[in-house]
Amino acid sequence: MKKKIRQQTLNVVVIAIVLLIFLPIFLMLPSMFKDRYEIFSYPWRFLPIHWHIDNFRRIAFLQYTSIGINFFRSLAVTSLVAAIALVLGLAVNMTAAFAFARLEFPGKRILWALIISTMFIPAITIWFTSVRVATLLGLLDTMAVLIIPGLAAAYNIFFFRQFYLGFPRELDEAARIDGARTFQIFTTIYIPMSKTPMVIIGAMIFMGYYNSYLWPILVISHQRQDLYQMMYVIRSLFGHAPTIGYGAVLAATFISLIPPMIVFTIVQRYIREGIALSGLK
Amino acid sequence: MMATTQSISKREEKITALIMILPATLLLGVFVMLPLGMAVYRSFFDYRAGGESLYVGFDNFRKILKNTIFFDSIANVIKMTAIIATAQIVLSFLFANALVRIRGRKAVIARMLIYLPYLISGIVVSVIFTLMTRYNGGIINAFLIQLNIEPIAFNNDTFWSPISIIIPTLWIGFGYFTLIMYSGLINIPREYFEAAEVDGAGFLRKTLSITIPHMKNYFILLVVTLVVVNLQMFEIPMIMTNGQPAGQTMTPVLYLIHSRANSNISDSEITAAALLIMLVILLINSTIFYLFRTRKKDEWEH
Repeated sequence: MKKKIRQQTLNVVVIAIVLLIFLPIFLMLPSMFKDRYEIFSYPWRFLPIHWHIDNFRRIAFLQYTSIGINFFRSLAVTSLVAAIALVLGLAVNMTAAFAFARLEFPGKRILWALIISTMFIPAITIWFTSVRVATLLGLLDTMAVLIIPGLAAAYNIFFFRQFYLGFPRELDEAARIDGARTFQIFTTIYIPMSKTPMVIIGAMIFMGYYNSYLWPILVISHQRQDLYQMMYVIRSLFGHAPTIGYGAVLAATFISLIPPMIVFTIVQRYIREGIALSGLK
Repeated sequence: MMATTQSISKREEKITALIMILPATLLLGVFVMLPLGMAVYRSFFDYRAGGESLYVGFDNFRKILKNTIFFDSIANVIKMTAIIATAQIVLSFLFANALVRIRGRKAVIARMLIYLPYLISGIVVSVIFTLMTRYNGGIINAFLIQLNIEPIAFNNDTFWSPISIIIPTLWIGFGYFTLIMYSGLINIPREYFEAAEVDGAGFLRKTLSITIPHMKNYFILLVVTLVVVNLQMFEIPMIMTNGQPAGQTMTPVLYLIHSRANSNISDSEITAAALLIMLVILLINSTIFYLFRTRKKDEWEH
């Protein structure tokens, strides 16, 4: 009996905490339909008195105002950048991880040490000189500069390498006897078996690009408004809130959460397994 | 015949390997190692005088260390990181302990949902929290007024400003850290707990003598991650408080971004400062690893 009460209390506590986590989003959600006066009016109301659909129209037509930002184009471009980075990032890091886990080549140990050491270099330390490198390479104001510099990530290589080290070597040997080339072993055995880490790391790559704020503003100038990234746009809108209204800013903010929600629905089945993988080896 | 096939396949393997590591190695070389080298090099020069560069030794470092705003910002961020890391570790550990004890569909759903905030950017989270904590018309102050309490300027108050940064930061990571703790907890063999329960051990006893020693590596990994991430924080402070009041929530990265935009200190000093941030992070993390090592040694000796 006592045990049952304790179990019930625990259930209630867990549910309460999960609800508490979502409380901020839940409370603010209807505010995106409030107009500029109602949103901060007292007493505070959960639902708007007048549902103000105009906020969305305002967000859609920002490019014709003095703010000059095309919100939905930016949403599309940012998602595109993140999607390309997701595919290329997986390719770059998985191939390197496979080579370091399974193949022999000269300089392997030194290269591995160098790659791991890049994990300990904070972004802030290299941000500004990376801009210089991108400038020297003539990459400024291109879509490439948003994507390429962040593709290789030591943590992702490390993660896939750990995963591959756990594979039975017999599979490779059997394939070799059947005459498979090294690269075929990777594509026919290793890639199909990497689904969970691909989903988890892929989601992290996508979100990392989608959510990045500083790098895009360092390398994209006002000449290329069509390449403006989402987080910069949200921040600008927030700065312009007195003009366009906080309700509209909130509407934009919540719309910007649609790609993360899609990512979440895809990854949710893999979260537990993925976290267990990324935990300690 | 056999020998030649083998040597061909060895050569094929080597060439394939080199091709496979080439993209990642090249990218890390060009966009991480090269910028780091440039940062180190440039921190010893002064580029201000019209394109000419002048070797100045450690002058840039000396200047930035005398810069009180930068120095204070490091102190601020260390304070906030200490609070965030402690709170995040304790809260996620406790919640993970609650999660392993519940079963069924609600447990599955809970484990899934708490991951969601981790996907949201600091900028978006801050916009939502800023509107909630606003002095005029924010929901929290509206609630306080209802209770006849004076409204609080959460984003511009000596006591509340750091808290208004700490809460959203915790909010983003809480579920993710809980899930990592959870995967650590379920890896501990059940027999240990059963044996302890036979001896009449309660939650606290079991946690101190079984769970925590078993999860030491998790704690270290999480603390190091929290330190690295939070010492570089800038998005949430940028939106929530922008360093207010009087620079008390200014963080080093935010200060460097401001300085670069307003050119109030030279690029070489910014580079030197960025290198110092790396040193601080490395120093703190090595201390954490060192402390852990000595503990382990103690265990061996006793």
